[in-house]
Amino acid sequence: MSYAYLFKYIIIGDTGVGKSCLLLQFTDKRFQPVHDLTIGVEFGARMITIDGKQIKLQIWDTAGQESFRSITRSYYRGAAGALLVYDITRRDTFNHLTTWLEDARQHSNSNMVIMLIGNKSDLEARREVKKEEGEAFAREHGLIFMETSAKTAANVEEAFINTAKEIYQKIQDGVFDINNEANGIKIGPQHSPANANLTSPGGGGSQGGGCC
Amino acid sequence: MDYLRNIMGAPQGGVQPTGAETVERLVDRTQSSTLLDDRRDAVRGLKALSKKYRLEVGTQAMDCLTKVLETDRGDAEIMGLALDTLCNVMSDEPTEEEDLNPVNEMNGDLGANFTEIYIKNPENVSLLLSLLEEYDFHVRWPTVKLLTILLTNKGKGIQECILVSPMGVSKLMDLLSDSREIIRNDALLLLIQLTKGNANIQKIVAFENAFERLLDIIQDEGNSDGGIVVEDCLLLLLNLLKNNSSNQNFFKEGSYIQKITPYFDLNSDPQRSQGGWSAQKVTNLHLMLQLVRTMVSPNNAQQQTTSCQKSLNYCGLLQKLCSILMASGVPADVLTETINTVSEAIRGNPTNQEYFASVLAPSNPPRPAIVVLLMSMVNEKQPFVLRCAVLYCFQSFLYKNEVGQSQIVQTLLPTTADVNTITAGQLLCGGLFSSDSLSNWFAAVAMLHAILENRTQKEQLLRVQLATSLGNPPVSLLQQCCNILAQGGKLQTRIGLLMLMCGWLSDCSIAVTHFLSNTANVPFLISQVSASEGDEQELLVQGLCAFLLGICMLYNDDQSDTFTKASLKQVIENRIGLETFNDKLSQILKNESYTRAAKKPNLHYKQSSEVIFDYAFTRIFKTLENEVLKSVSYDENSPDHKKKLASLKEHESIVDQYKEFIKEQDARLNAANQELESVRSTHTETLKQIEELKNTVQQLKDQNALLKVQKGARGSPSLPDSTTDDTTSLLSKDIENLKSELNDKNKQIDKLKNDLTQAEVQILSQENGDEDKENNPNEAAVVQATLQKMNTDLERSLADRDNEIARLQDLLQGCKKEVEQIRSQQSQGNNVTTDGDSQQKLQSLTEELQKITEEKASLQDRVTKSNEENLKTLDKIRKLETEKEEILVEKRNVDEELDVLKKEQDDLLVLLADQEAKIDKYKTMLKNLGQDVKDDDDDDLDLDDDDDDEGGD
Repeated sequence: MSYAYLFKYIIIGDTGVGKSCLLLQFTDKRFQPVHDLTIGVEFGARMITIDGKQIKLQIWDTAGQESFRSITRSYYRGAAGALLVYDITRRDTFNHLTTWLEDARQHSNSNMVIMLIGNKSDLEARREVKKEEGEAFAREHGLIFMETSAKTAANVEEAFINTAKEIYQKIQDGVFDINNEANGIKIGPQHSPANANLTSPGGGGSQGGGCC
Repeated sequence: MDYLRNIMGAPQGGVQPTGAETVERLVDRTQSSTLLDDRRDAVRGLKALSKKYRLEVGTQAMDCLTKVLETDRGDAEIMGLALDTLCNVMSDEPTEEEDLNPVNEMNGDLGANFTEIYIKNPENVSLLLSLLEEYDFHVRWPTVKLLTILLTNKGKGIQECILVSPMGVSKLMDLLSDSREIIRNDALLLLIQLTKGNANIQKIVAFENAFERLLDIIQDEGNSDGGIVVEDCLLLLLNLLKNNSSNQNFFKEGSYIQKITPYFDLNSDPQRSQGGWSAQKVTNLHLMLQLVRTMVSPNNAQQQTTSCQKSLNYCGLLQKLCSILMASGVPADVLTETINTVSEAIRGNPTNQEYFASVLAPSNPPRPAIVVLLMSMVNEKQPFVLRCAVLYCFQSFLYKNEVGQSQIVQTLLPTTADVNTITAGQLLCGGLFSSDSLSNWFAAVAMLHAILENRTQKEQLLRVQLATSLGNPPVSLLQQCCNILAQGGKLQTRIGLLMLMCGWLSDCSIAVTHFLSNTANVPFLISQVSASEGDEQELLVQGLCAFLLGICMLYNDDQSDTFTKASLKQVIENRIGLETFNDKLSQILKNESYTRAAKKPNLHYKQSSEVIFDYAFTRIFKTLENEVLKSVSYDENSPDHKKKLASLKEHESIVDQYKEFIKEQDARLNAANQELESVRSTHTETLKQIEELKNTVQQLKDQNALLKVQKGARGSPSLPDSTTDDTTSLLSKDIENLKSELNDKNKQIDKLKNDLTQAEVQILSQENGDEDKENNPNEAAVVQATLQKMNTDLERSLADRDNEIARLQDLLQGCKKEVEQIRSQQSQGNNVTTDGDSQQKLQSLTEELQKITEEKASLQDRVTKSNEENLKTLDKIRKLETEKEEILVEKRNVDEELDVLKKEQDDLLVLLADQEAKIDKYKTMLKNLGQDVKDDDDDDLDLDDDDDDEGGD
């Protein structure tokens, strides 16, 4: 149950691109073929390991529909990572990326790691957006890019973990202020300096100190 | 202040201006004055009037105050005054000064109206939210208060405004981090209002680390010993979690359950020894328990509840709750809520139920917690809500817990009843038959749950016997329930017992039979149901009796002689009438207490008189009511029946489908069977063929043997026989015999020839010696005749033999043909069944046949040779005859020599007879060998015999 870090993620993107399916595949390792419209925001969590450290991911899956946009905006600020998802079989979802990105940049903290995801890579026959286009968009806006399939689970794990690695790297580089929980990052109980004194010596306290 | 005084003081001089007029002047000044100080004073004036002249200030000053908030952000004081004024206008809370002000009471919904006007422009709310960014206490604090008031008055509208405004919720959440406690505490109140009934806001608040922050505050405030702030935090937590599965999941995933575990740590409680709980602590603990209950509520998704129950056990929270349960000095209402919490923490979770069963009360001797709790349940001195909670706990312990059910029923059974210790069973029985009707009800329902959906325990409970008064035989528990029911008694007693019996008898035919075995029971029920009078409560009893009667019919397996399914149905029809029966049954559904009990599994009665139905019973009733009605009114042409017919038709169509399917399968099966039959027949046919072929082969063998024997009899001797076959060897033996006999014959013929030549020589010498003596022509004629006869005889027998040989040859030819046929058949038969053996035998037989044919050929050669010899002898005999005729005259003279000749002739005849006898013997031998051409042989034999006879003469 204990963890070194806790990262908060949000998943954003047009409706029907497979955000909830990505989360379900990541947390429950299953695929739900029927589109069940997300109302507002749903929560999911999973533990991963990076660099030998347990990292807890808390993920908020947001509704893609325009009517929920004002609600979902409230989640940008407190997130350390965002998965911006489009559907490779629907060009319009790719075209809307700029709007999403502007929205995210406006409301989130500047250090938020954004991973661009082209989902539904299993539907190669119906592809409308080339992989190269996605790569180019990501390069242009300084995002990480991946194509995934929530259905076959291809790259799903990697998408979440690579985002976490990027955040982890930023922590190592001292970019994030890990003591400000509004950034969507929390140090685990055994790593926080306050508890480190009370419990066992050692732990990751020194890393936290470097960032202060 | 001077300015204000001037205004206020004015009425003293002249005409008293109305409040409205004053407000108007102040509003005017606020709007028109260019000097900040003037405006500030005017707003101060408005604030002062805002309580007394709330309506006036509200109607006239709202716009100008909003304007001030927009334009005068630089001056904290005027901002604060304006916000305060707005607060006063919006707030419906009575202040100390105007407690008895009748005006305020008149305008009860004034605040709501003003709020509505205010938020008509959503910009106003955004403005307030933006003001929160001001750090100044004079601005921030009243802003928080104003927002709280707005939310209290028009929650939904403001919630929407806040959701729409960017980062609105986040800004409000930031207030919790304000170092000034008063702002943080008021922010709590604001958030409580904000999160009421809006899942989206609840989620955002949770996302903004609300759980973490709130739990930290509670901890800082000293957990349950903390003040009202702890209470507020808990209220907010409850708002965030109630009916919000996403947040519950987040709470659980965030390991917050572990963090609330210390709340229930009462061991280090210093107040316990002092024997007093503050009202605040009671409230706090209450809310903390509710927090736990929210996580494991039976109304949540099953999966969610189960995983939370697991966490409760895992982090030791359940154990702490159980220790509170058994602790002393805990206030009754806290104890009640703890029991309720434990109930829901264990409900339907085997591990937690098992743990609960193992909890012991620290009494002497230690008793199981269940027993101690049941003691409270059947104790009428205990508070009503506590007793309800215990029943709920007991029900939760037994819910989906077959092991627990059997443990409880075990304590009732005679074998395990121990007089010295108090058991759950004893307490339940005691409660069931106590004089307190509520105890009766509790005990009956508790017992119902011990056998709920568990047929084994229903049957076990039938074994329970109760000792009644001294000297009377023990009576069964079920019968005792009936007896008490028949005695009348209070409503709750009867309803409790009836519910128990309904649950007991449902889905348990043995219990029904047991119930029916007492012939008094059914008449009692009928009398109850058919009773026409009675108030609402009495109708309930009658309805339950009808239900019980229906169950007796529904689960009747016709084991009772007196009341079978059919007879019960007739009784209901004749004695009660279907209309009445249905009507009585429907009384239960109509009852308000039924609807209330059917809502939730937990008991939520406020007073004992409300206690009528149990949740589990309502579920039994719901499932069985229809079936009871159906079975009672089965053969009626009611719409029910028609419906049933319709469904029957549906079923029939399904059955038809299956029938079709089965037919198809049958056809296929038949076809397969036929195929099998034909294959079998061909098999038997082939077997037969093989048998026939074998037989033919055997016959052929036999025939071959016969032929060999016959040929042996006629052919030449010494035929090499190399076959190892037994029959062949037999045949070759016979052939050997025949050969030797043929040799004998040949020798005899040779002898005859010698004799003949001797006789000729003698005749010649007689011709020379005494020609005169031959004067007896008669004798010579006789001799000649005899000779002739002999010759003809010989010729005939030879011809016969030739015939026979020809016939045998024909036979052999036929055999050969047959063999050929068999061979071809064999080759055909090989396709059906391979019979290598018979083929081999056939092969060997054909070979034998070949050999035999060869032998026969050689034999034929010999026969022809012998025939030629015979012909030669005949020629000689003819010559002799001619010579005899020439010397006939001379022969007459030699009578004596003739006698000798006669004698010799006789000898020859005897020899011939011998030969014929031998031939006879061979014929019989052939007969024994079973040749089918016997008749011909016999004829031949007869013919031979005739010849012999003639020869003998």
